[in-house]
Amino acid sequence: MTMVIEVEGLTKRYGAHVAVDGVGFTVTEGEIFGILGVNGAGKTTTVECLQGLRRPDSGRMRVLGLDPRTAGSQLRARVGSQLQESALPDRLRVDEAILLFGDGDRRSADRLLETWNLAALRRSSFASLSGGQRQRLFIALALLNEPKVVFFDELTQGLDPLARGEVWNAIGDVRDQGATVVLVTHFMDEAEALCDRVAVMRGGRVVDTGTPADLIARHAHLTTVTFTPPVSFDPATLTDLPGVDNVERHGERLRVIGTNQLIAPVCAAVLGDDQLGPPDLRVHHPDLEDALIALVSGLDPEQRSERAAGRTPQGAS
Amino acid sequence: MRPLLRLAVTEMKLFVREPMVVTFVFAFPVLTVLVLGGVFDDDDPNFEGALPSDYYIAAYIGVVIAAIGLVMLPVHLASYRERGVLRRFDVSRYPRWALPAAWILVATIITAVAITVLLVTSHLVYGLPAPDNLLGVIVGTLLGAFTFISIGIALGMALPSARSAQGLGMLLFFPFFLLGGAGPPPDAMGDPMSSITNVVPLTHVVRAIQEPWLDLGTPTGHLAVLVALAVAATAGWVTLSARSAG
Repeated sequence: MTMVIEVEGLTKRYGAHVAVDGVGFTVTEGEIFGILGVNGAGKTTTVECLQGLRRPDSGRMRVLGLDPRTAGSQLRARVGSQLQESALPDRLRVDEAILLFGDGDRRSADRLLETWNLAALRRSSFASLSGGQRQRLFIALALLNEPKVVFFDELTQGLDPLARGEVWNAIGDVRDQGATVVLVTHFMDEAEALCDRVAVMRGGRVVDTGTPADLIARHAHLTTVTFTPPVSFDPATLTDLPGVDNVERHGERLRVIGTNQLIAPVCAAVLGDDQLGPPDLRVHHPDLEDALIALVSGLDPEQRSERAAGRTPQGAS
Repeated sequence: MRPLLRLAVTEMKLFVREPMVVTFVFAFPVLTVLVLGGVFDDDDPNFEGALPSDYYIAAYIGVVIAAIGLVMLPVHLASYRERGVLRRFDVSRYPRWALPAAWILVATIITAVAITVLLVTSHLVYGLPAPDNLLGVIVGTLLGAFTFISIGIALGMALPSARSAQGLGMLLFFPFFLLGGAGPPPDAMGDPMSSITNVVPLTHVVRAIQEPWLDLGTPTGHLAVLVALAVAATAGWVTLSARSAG
């Protein structure tokens, strides 16, 4: 496997505040690598160091074998970037933006406009574009000149669900065309859907790295089943079922917490005479969001299960 | 088209699409010509012996130069920084110096076009006298334009937002306009006002153009002040630009 990005001991201070504190990870060729964490975890600063926009105080970084501190101009020709909170001039038109940042070839500009569904908007000014159209333009700009590595920072911030879906498909296409993708996000569903591997950051440090499934298995193994039992039902019959750690009563509703294997036995146990289960039965599987909350909050597993269970709708029927 | 030329052409389009630029750089100076050239009697003694309409020619040119340096450039650049456009250029293939170089080139071209429009208008309405020392006029105009372009880039790099740049730009533009030569003639002002005009940078631009044009003296001192200002402003924006990285 070829290493496309290597980071070791990366540190960046702003005065007394340590924004990035000894960060290290590697990204291999053809991967979609996610950098996750809550706001202020140091994700953007880390990526800005790799893009050559910021100068770290210490640490080693290599992008395509080059140091962004010294080989900035060589890297800029081979790296594409979509930046957080970076607009274009209001009166710049879509086709002008593509020509300005591209290699100036009109035919390849036209192809890109077609690919990203921007052809009808070519004469539109940046100010007149919707949020989704702007993001499509930023992605197209990041992919100009066939970059080997692409950085996307908060790509789907402020997009509606339909536009997010479009952008997700687009990221997959980018990887399929052979580029390595680094995706900074705090949307866990996005990371789970797109990323091959992720690094979770907290307080300027990487707290864990792995595939989304690894992280879920390590930090969010608790499944929760919630339902309102029939009046005659005895909750004590559930506690001995395989996989069940705990049964709690919250008003009318029961919450059963344990491993994934509890689902089938619990569902079987609550079947009524009519072979129908409780209409409000909800199953919550552990996901990357649970893993992230566990990783960044530092709560113990007991409190975590409270939190995970608290996310299932209580009053739903 | 080569990338740097493409950048300059795009920047040029963006400047002239800005209504405020069209207003202040093209319309306002022409309006000034039409008003000021006709206000005073031809035999008014306050114009160092020149006709009032001739005396004000340099001031019109100064208005264009000030509008570009104090309004057009600072607002454009500050909005680039505020909205993250500069960061986008930082990750593009353009070298760091490309954008300032494009601004200097484009602002110089816009200055030349706006001055031409002015002089043609002025000639058609009032008639223009032939410059006494054409080379001196050209040197004064070029140096004045370059100085104010440098000041404009420095202001644009220093100010945090387009709004603040617009506010400060206007705050500087109108006193410069009134005291820098486009207002009442210095001979008609009292002593205190007359000495205040000397600390207004635009005065030196106007005198550096006016003196060789109308044979009113040799503007060595004014040219020296402009060179000093240009050097200071250039050093300022180069430092600010280097500091923004990191």
